This record gives sequence, C-alpha cells and structure tokens, in this order.
Amino acid sequence: MEESSEPDPVTARLSNDEVVDRTLETLRSGRVATAEVLVRDALSGSVETKDGAIEVVTARGERGLGVRVLDGQRIGFAHTSDLAVSGIEACVDQARRMATITEPDQDLRIATAPLESVDLDIYEPGLEDRPLADRGAIALAVERAARTADPRITHFRKTSYSDADVTTLIATTQGVRASYRESFCGAMTSAVATQNGERQIGYHGEGARRVAELDPESVGTRAARRAIEKLGAKPFPTQKIPVVLDPWMAMSLLGAISPLFSADNVLKGRSLFAGKVGERVANERVTIVDDARRKGGLRSAPFDGEGVATTTRILVERGTLRGYLVNLKTAGKLNSAPSGNARRGSYASPSRIGPSNFYIDAGADDPAALVRGPRRALAVTSLLNLHTIDPVSGEFSLGATGTYLENGMPMHPVQGITIAGNLTHLLSSITGVGTDLTFGASGIGSPTLLIAELSVGGT
Amino acid sequence: MTVRDVERALRTALSRGGDWAEIFWERHETLQLVLDDQRIEDAITGVDQGAGVRVVSGDQTVYANGNVTDVDDVMAIAGRAARSVADGSGLHEGARLAPDELPRPHSVAIDPRTVPVERKVALLRLANEVARAHDPRVTQATVSYAESVQEILVANSDGVHRTDTRVRVNFAAQVVAKDGAVLESGFEAVRGTRGFEMLTEDAVRDAAESAARRAVLNVGAQPAPAGTYTVVLSSEAGGTLIHESVGHGLEADLNLKGLSVYSGRIGEKVASELITVIDDGRDPGQRGTAAMDDEATPTQRTVLIEKGILRTYLSDRKHAEKLGIPRSGNARRESFRHLPICRMTNTMIASGDSDPAAIVRSVKDGIFVKKMGGGQVDVVSGNFAFEVTECYRIRDGKLAEPLRGATLVGQGPKLMSEIDMVGWDLGYSTGTCGKDGQGAPVADAQPTLRIPSVVIGGRVQ
Repeated sequence: MEESSEPDPVTARLSNDEVVDRTLETLRSGRVATAEVLVRDALSGSVETKDGAIEVVTARGERGLGVRVLDGQRIGFAHTSDLAVSGIEACVDQARRMATITEPDQDLRIATAPLESVDLDIYEPGLEDRPLADRGAIALAVERAARTADPRITHFRKTSYSDADVTTLIATTQGVRASYRESFCGAMTSAVATQNGERQIGYHGEGARRVAELDPESVGTRAARRAIEKLGAKPFPTQKIPVVLDPWMAMSLLGAISPLFSADNVLKGRSLFAGKVGERVANERVTIVDDARRKGGLRSAPFDGEGVATTTRILVERGTLRGYLVNLKTAGKLNSAPSGNARRGSYASPSRIGPSNFYIDAGADDPAALVRGPRRALAVTSLLNLHTIDPVSGEFSLGATGTYLENGMPMHPVQGITIAGNLTHLLSSITGVGTDLTFGASGIGSPTLLIAELSVGGT
Repeated sequence: MTVRDVERALRTALSRGGDWAEIFWERHETLQLVLDDQRIEDAITGVDQGAGVRVVSGDQTVYANGNVTDVDDVMAIAGRAARSVADGSGLHEGARLAPDELPRPHSVAIDPRTVPVERKVALLRLANEVARAHDPRVTQATVSYAESVQEILVANSDGVHRTDTRVRVNFAAQVVAKDGAVLESGFEAVRGTRGFEMLTEDAVRDAAESAARRAVLNVGAQPAPAGTYTVVLSSEAGGTLIHESVGHGLEADLNLKGLSVYSGRIGEKVASELITVIDDGRDPGQRGTAAMDDEATPTQRTVLIEKGILRTYLSDRKHAEKLGIPRSGNARRESFRHLPICRMTNTMIASGDSDPAAIVRSVKDGIFVKKMGGGQVDVVSGNFAFEVTECYRIRDGKLAEPLRGATLVGQGPKLMSEIDMVGWDLGYSTGTCGKDGQGAPVADAQPTLRIPSVVIGGRVQ
C-alpha cells in the first residue's frame, strides 16, 4: 500500500544547479543580454514546548527562484516556487514583461566581478538530521532554566527552538556564479512572572550558527529576569532623565537607526544623514561598523543579493560619518564602490539596501560603572512600538517599562511611560559606551549605552 | 488536486497514527508596482504555491509544509508529517470528504489580473502628481500598487473540503516634506478584500492628497508635549486603539494559557457600558474579510464585549474546544508556511449616541487625535502603545495648533472603563497585524471617543 511507503516523486526534480543552468539557458535563448538568477533552498524546523512537554513540531522545505532582467536600462523581477522547466520558463517570461513596465535608470547594473570563495564559518552540517528529541531537549532546557531562575516564573507565552539549513546560489549572464550554505539555530522564550495577582512577561531569544554556541540556560535565565524586574511597577512622573540601555535594549534602537545609512534613502532625500559625510553625527565615543565578513556572524555572507562581494565598513568613526550602505545602482550614482549591502530577504523579493552585522563598537566604560554614574537614571527594560519609528524624520516616541535608579541602585520598576526623542539627537547624547559588546539574533550588536537625557512621559 | 487526491493525502498523513489531520493548499499570485523618485522603479510578480499538512495526536501537533508543484509533492509532505507522529496507537481512517462551498461575503467586480498594467501605472502617476503638487515643501513621494489573489483549499479528516479565493488590492502613498533641517513623512493607503473597482481615481487622489497634507502639516508642527491629558480620538483616526488595547487580549490562545488580562472573565464587566466590541470577518470588502478562516470555519460577526460585559473570545478549532466556546472563525495564517493562530479580522468599537462635534467642544484643554499609526500591546500586563500620526491641541473646545511625534500609552481594561463619551459616527482604518512572526491583513474601526486622562508620549517642554 502506498500510504505506508515513502512517496516517490514521479516528476524528475531539477537540482539547484540545474535550475540555475536551465534559467540561464532560457534567458540566453530569449536573447536577454543581462540578467541575474537567484535560487534559495532551505530546510527548517522548529519545536515548541509547553509545561515540560513538546507541543508543536514543524518541518518546512522551501525552494524557489528569483529572476531579475535588465533590458537596456529597465529592470524587471519575477519569482516562482514552480521549478519544473515550464515554471522556470514562465518566470523568465514574466521578468521580461516586468522590465517593459519600469522606467529607465542609467545606473542599473548586473554584477560582473568574479567572486572569490571565502570561509566565514557560517555553516554547521547535519542540523536538519538531528533527532526531534535533541531539538526538543533544547527548548525544554530553556523552559527549565527560566523556572529554576525564580519561583515566581509561573507560565510561558511560548518557548521554542528552531534551526535552518539554507543554500543560496547566484548567477549572472555576465559570468558571476557562486553559492554558499549556512546554518542557523535559535532558542527563545517569553516567561511570565506572577506576584500578588500582578503578571509581567519577559522575552529573550538568542541565535547562533552552531548548536553548541547556543546557551539554553542563558536564554531561560535572561527571560526570567526580564519578567521579574518588571514586578511591582509604578507610574512615573513626566521628566527629562539620563537613560541606561543594556545591550539588548540598545540593539532594538540601533536597528531603527540603520535606514539612515541607506544610500537609496540618502539619494532620495529620505535620510537625515544626506550630505553629512565627514561631519559629526554622533558622540565621539561612538563607532558604528557594518561587517558582513564577521566570522560566524548571523548576517555574514560571502556575497550579497546582487552577487557582489561583501565588505567590512566603518560607517561612523568616533562620531564622524564615513559613508553609506550602497548597492550596485547607488554606487554608480555616488561614484563609489559597491559595499555589498544589497540584502535579499527571500528568493521572492528583489534586494534592498540594508545592514549585515551592524553594531556599535565596544567602548572603554565598565558597564557597572556606567549605571552608577548618574545620581538619578532610568534603565529601560522593554520598548513597545519600535516598528513605528519613522526613519525619515528620525522621531521616536515609544511605550516603555524601566527600572528607576538612584546612584546605580534599583529603586522600583516603572510602567505606562513613554520615551521620546530624535534618532540623531540620541546618537549625539550617548555619553557612555560599555566594554560589553553583545550580538543579538538579528545580527545587530551593541554594548551598554548611557544616554545623557531623554524625555520621559508619564503622570 | 482532485477530491480523491486530497483523501489519499489525508490517509497518508494519518498512516502512522494521530487523531486528526488537515491539508492546507495555497496558490498565491502577486503583482507589485512602485513609483519612487518620479520613476516606476519596481515591477515585481510571482507565484507562490505550497501546502501544509497538520496531524494532531493528543496534545501534540505536527506540521510539515513546503512549496509544491504537483500532487506528488503534497503526498511527500503528508508522508513527512506522518513520520514525525510519535503516537503508534490506534490508526484513524480519514472520513470520506464532503466538499461544499460557502457564500462569499466579498464581491469582485473587476479581477485586477484582467486590468491592463497601463491603467495601474496611470494611477501611480496620478498619485505622484497630486502629492507633489500639494505644497512646495513636498520633496519626495513613493506610491505603490499591489494586487494579491490567494486561492486556498482546506480539507480535514472530519470530511470537510472547502475552497476560498481572496482577491485583495492595496494602494499606498508615502510622502516626504522638508522644511529647513526638519524632515517628516505622511502615509495613507486604500486597501481591501475587493477587486480593482476599489481603486477609483478619486480614491487614489484622496489618499495621495492626505499623505502629502499630513507630511506638510507635521513638518510645521510643534513637538507634542509629554504628560497626562484628556484625549479625543476622532473616528477618522481609525481603530488601532481597539486592536491593541482590547483585541489581542481577547484571542483565545492567550486566554487558554490564562495569560491575558481578560482571562477567565467571560460574563464580567471589563469596560464602560458605553463600549461594545465586535469582530466581523464578513464585513463586505474590508481588508480582513474572507468567506472562511484558514481552517475552513465560516467567518462570522462576533460580539466580544456587549455594553461593557465580556461575552466570548476570538477562537480557532483547538482553543474553542478547550475553552468550551463556539468556533468564531478566527484561525488565520500568513501562508501555508505557518500553523493558523487565533487573531482578529475586522474589529470595531460600535457607535454610541454622542454628537462628535459636542465631544470636542466638551474638552477645555486636551489633545485631538485625527489619525493613528501602528501600535503594540503587551497582552500579559495589558500595557499598549500606539503611534499618533496627526494630532492637534484642543483649547477651549476648539482645535488649535498641530503637534507631531506623539504616542499614546495605557492599559487596556483601565482605559476601556474610563472612556466616557462615544460618538454616533464610525471610521475605518486598515493595516497588517503581526503576531508570532505572521502578518495578517486586518481592518479596525471606531467612533469618536473621549478619554478623560491618558499618558501622551512626546517631549518634555
């Protein structure tokens, strides 16, 4: 009976390389002179736990093709998950049709420079073959660590472990052809603390390229601490006050700053950093780096979504703006070299300028000393509404919780407050940078930061 | 896929054990056109086809999914799901499928796929011109058109076999204005579960005009003051408030775990008696509308809070059963890549009986919120925040100077008990709600509301 046997695919499946070959052939026979082909093949899985047992197991296979056709000075993009020959041909046709709709831009380019192979230590083989029990054990260890950390941890919103094995292939009609394979694994939990009828949630998640680099103990313990530190929260008066951002809170704000460096935003008048290269844009203690070549980095890759070699860039050097993140098109417009920052979220979307491993470099201050510095300060413990920060105006006004500090000593937690300012002002107001540079699951990194003063709204 | 193919895949899914199995198949066609910096910059199209097979065994769920080209790929996914089922006990035969069709609450007069691309491009050009002509301080405009046709098939081992087609269009304008060193942006969108007929020239022109007006207004506005104020939320402001402050807290998954501020409170008073909250997945043409949810449960109009009393939660199959409440048709998933989760469709605070103009006149010193942006809630504590994209100071019952960069924060149940005036009007807004890493198209609505005292985020003067 076929129900109990392994189903055999009847149609012959093209390998990833065959898909690339077939697409290039289709382009050639259609007399498309310049085009780029990207194939992504990913296997991923996750395990969710609840109260000490596995609740949900997910296995995902994803494989698709994206084709970008440059017809003269017009670009068209199409994607498909149908990798049979007919699907590939239809995708090429659609990309050509899309190129008749867009308008010419003389700086559009398809990559031509050959790519050298480079080992960035981003792949651990065998992740997808790991038994379910091993994967589940990691999520269960996270849950256990959170419960052990404090008896007030009573519930979990969600605890999970996930991993992925991803292969990316790129080829252009100009002879560029390369591929790389990468692995990801991550663990996260949202732990809930209960005390005298009050409930508070704390989230923490970490990612790594190798399972051994993931510390379930630390994920569970940190999430528990994030929940516990909010218990007993009080309202807080409206005031201006120095603010302490631990590395995880700093990362979330740093993520909102990255669009200011996009050359596309700069050229289109959507960035406050336009025309500011060589000028002071941050406190002199601040150095910001984008490093796609960081060994084992979660956003490291040998080449970007356009098939351009990635680089390591200092964007802000001791407070002075040194450059922007560029792709092939904006490099042409700015007369600079492409930095390999055309990021590709999926085979189904064209690349957009974005950061790789983007971080504020470690400073000279002992983090504990930073916290003790101001007589009164607010240490932020969670931020709400980060996704609404407008990178064009740089204005931010966020919901927050925090811990009120006097001489570095926690007095009491606060909730129902807002913190507000402008991202450019925030960068100039960083008066302390810790030695504790830490990277988060999105590839963004930061040390502990002390902000001289922010507006806090409350009672 | 024929009905026999689907039956075979369900049998394969249950071949190693399990109590219940389901197949979700999807074909999603999209087209996106972007006019930016005076040029049609992007023309993107594609097809995403895939399937997900779920097997439930006791309290455990296995979900295998992937892109599929043909029936064999679906069988392979069903086989993969079956191999992960740990339960070797009692094998279940899937029932014979009984295909049926549900009435569609949305009508599509013009399938966007049949409209020549030139007409879509012409709408973008029109919007770009309108936005740029609005004011000399307008320096940049990005306008985009997107169409999405999602065909789905859901079948399960109870014998259910249903299909749905969701046709959606989306026009959006983002406009930048500059004055000296200050940059501001304004946004407006027209979107719904509708055909191309929704995007009339007038609708597109109005949206482009609104986005430009908002950018220019904000570039000349004073920073909003931080502190506690009386706030009037206009019906035009949209429904982010109800979505964040109440809606998420009423999702059944959080309530089963006892994690929401609304957990275990059905039948209790959780809001002022002026407040009635409804989720309506059949509201014609709205962005969150569909004939059925992503588990094939028909969508419906659900009264969640009736004159302040909590009546029920937004549920999927699993949580409806565990909580002993009716299925409300609120199991939604972003695509075949995800398991469905409990979430909102079109959510609103029902109209009351106060004159909206009188509500503004009643405030001596306060803030008038004319448009809300995005928001977020911590469902455990009930603390929420939402962005205000257009607001004014109220002085002596009249609108005064515009303010920029405001946020409104509060705690859901507390705020809902304090609202003391509810207008007779009703205004909608649309958005994409994010939960557990999945996006879902939603709409929200509310009448004009008065909140006596709430924290506004902004600058300390």
